[in-house]
Amino acid sequence: MATTTESRMTVKQDASSSTINLDDITAQLRPRIREWKNSWDLIRHNWTAMLGLVLIIIMIIIALMAPVLAPPKGVDAMYIPRDFGLPKPPFIEGHPLGTGEMGADIYYGTIWGARTTIVISLYVVLTAALVGLVIGAIAGYYGGVIDEVLMRFTDIFLSLPALIMAMAIASILTRSLDNMMFALILVWWPSYARLIRGQVLTIRESTYVEAAKAIGANRSRILFRHIVPNSLSPLIVSITLDLGAVALVAASLSYIGFGVPSGYAEWGRMVSDGQGWFLSSVPYQGVNYTPWWVVTFPALMILMFTMGFSLLGDGLRDILDPRSRR
Amino acid sequence: MIIPVLIGVSIIIFTLTRLAGDPAAAYINEKMTASQIADVYEKYHFNEPPYVQYFYWLSGIVNMDWGWSKTAGMPVTDAITYYLPATFELALASIVLAVGIGIALGTASAVKKNKPFDHTTRVVSLVGVSIPVFWLGLLLLLLFYSNLHWAPKGGRYSDSFISAVSAQSGTGFLTIDSLLMGNLNLFADVLWHLALPAVTLSFASIALILRMQRNSMLEVLQLDYVKTARAKGLPENVVIKRHARKNALIPTTTVVGLAFGALLSGAVLTESIFSWPGLGRWSARSILRMDTASILGFCLLIAFIYVIANLVVDIMYAYLDPRVKLG
Repeated sequence: MATTTESRMTVKQDASSSTINLDDITAQLRPRIREWKNSWDLIRHNWTAMLGLVLIIIMIIIALMAPVLAPPKGVDAMYIPRDFGLPKPPFIEGHPLGTGEMGADIYYGTIWGARTTIVISLYVVLTAALVGLVIGAIAGYYGGVIDEVLMRFTDIFLSLPALIMAMAIASILTRSLDNMMFALILVWWPSYARLIRGQVLTIRESTYVEAAKAIGANRSRILFRHIVPNSLSPLIVSITLDLGAVALVAASLSYIGFGVPSGYAEWGRMVSDGQGWFLSSVPYQGVNYTPWWVVTFPALMILMFTMGFSLLGDGLRDILDPRSRR
Repeated sequence: MIIPVLIGVSIIIFTLTRLAGDPAAAYINEKMTASQIADVYEKYHFNEPPYVQYFYWLSGIVNMDWGWSKTAGMPVTDAITYYLPATFELALASIVLAVGIGIALGTASAVKKNKPFDHTTRVVSLVGVSIPVFWLGLLLLLLFYSNLHWAPKGGRYSDSFISAVSAQSGTGFLTIDSLLMGNLNLFADVLWHLALPAVTLSFASIALILRMQRNSMLEVLQLDYVKTARAKGLPENVVIKRHARKNALIPTTTVVGLAFGALLSGAVLTESIFSWPGLGRWSARSILRMDTASILGFCLLIAFIYVIANLVVDIMYAYLDPRVKLG
């Protein structure tokens, strides 16, 4: 302890000696790095969380590599190339997963759909979390009338199933991807505001916040330097779980007709485009097929995407909660 | 608690109706003169400030004036009364399945913790919360309708019963109506049609309830009074059923309210797949036809049902847990 104070003083006296400064920073970071390492070890030994992580990484790779895995042919890469024929079974005429409605290439849609879904989930969840973080922190820390009004407001939003609320909001907007995401953000932020508010209320009473107050730190410094960073673990768990949940609700919204137009590389939309064929019988070169592939592949991707985040989120919850840790 | 939430929901829905476009548009046509249009605004109070308009709108809602449903070709309230029984019958069947199966599997899973049975149910519940409802429905149809020919493709009853069903004007609950008519063939047919949609709809709720029951059962099994019961030499069966399961049910009831929400959202998707003539399919068709009045009416109704369902859950909670007093 004495050495640290000493080195700090040296820095103040001679700002050019940057080596001491660097040591100081690493010394401060060391416990944090150790904490991260510790958490990583715990994740590594939790096989369900690892399975979730692997699924997520596969999805991210598919999304990033989409132009390589399925080179775009049309003007807009997000629209699936079509040959306007009947659905063809997998592994035929350069269609690894067959074709669907209007002869749309299922493989192409399945690959590019990963992009759509990741963009929707990240955009919705991160925006909602940020809005919820700021509003929840303010409500919890300042309390009083602001808190009362904000919490009653979130009560209303949380009193409805997410899909129904998003339907209500999306119904008055024009059908587009942006508007669908906007509706989802409006539905999702209150749960974050609630979470953060609860955290803030607990942490506000802790001794280290009292100590910070005692040395005269101002309110916003206490709020954003002490309280917010310490309430991050439940936030991270929530974000992870919600990335999967939002993907599922977004796919459902697209499936019932909000959001993207027909022919767009979005998994929910692909299922609704293809479901007319699903129970029919289609001839190809004299053989009759039931086109199970038109629906199965995009739906399987939705399942894996949601499951990946759900597994990782559950694992993180067990790991980041110190009570259930050891 | 329930009244402010309902008022809040109504304010949000009202705001949405006003944001959807000029509400007077529904009453105006191009042949009207400027003064006639002004009369419309006067008559329906559209030129008043928003908070005054809200009270007129609210009194309309209370007096069963919910607007016109383009999709159903009748007033929204009539459409709701027309479609509600089908949805209610489906939802009831699903919640019974979800609660029954969820609690039974959750309890058994906790008792056999880390045995193969436990692992299997955990995988099932994981898939249950992650699988898109619409795919599950289609998969069940592919298996039981296309391949095995065990189940019907959709609807509430077979075509051969059309005259029997339309002849009577009963409750709208076909299971009850068919029994009242004494038509056991129709009753069997209705149940046969109900099976797949109910299983599809309940799957996510089963997963939710199963998970909660497993966790709370594991917690309860650690408690001292369970050890005491075992030490007294009670058979394991009695310890689990009478001592542990009863108390483990308390936290699970809270999740039943949530599960009901999953069920109502699922209805929109499930009913569309199984051509089930209920509220969900009506609202899904309204979405395709940009029929805002119907969608918002549906959402308002679901909000009411959901809030009331959660109130019922709270009351059940107080009944199951004597430590909780109703305020």
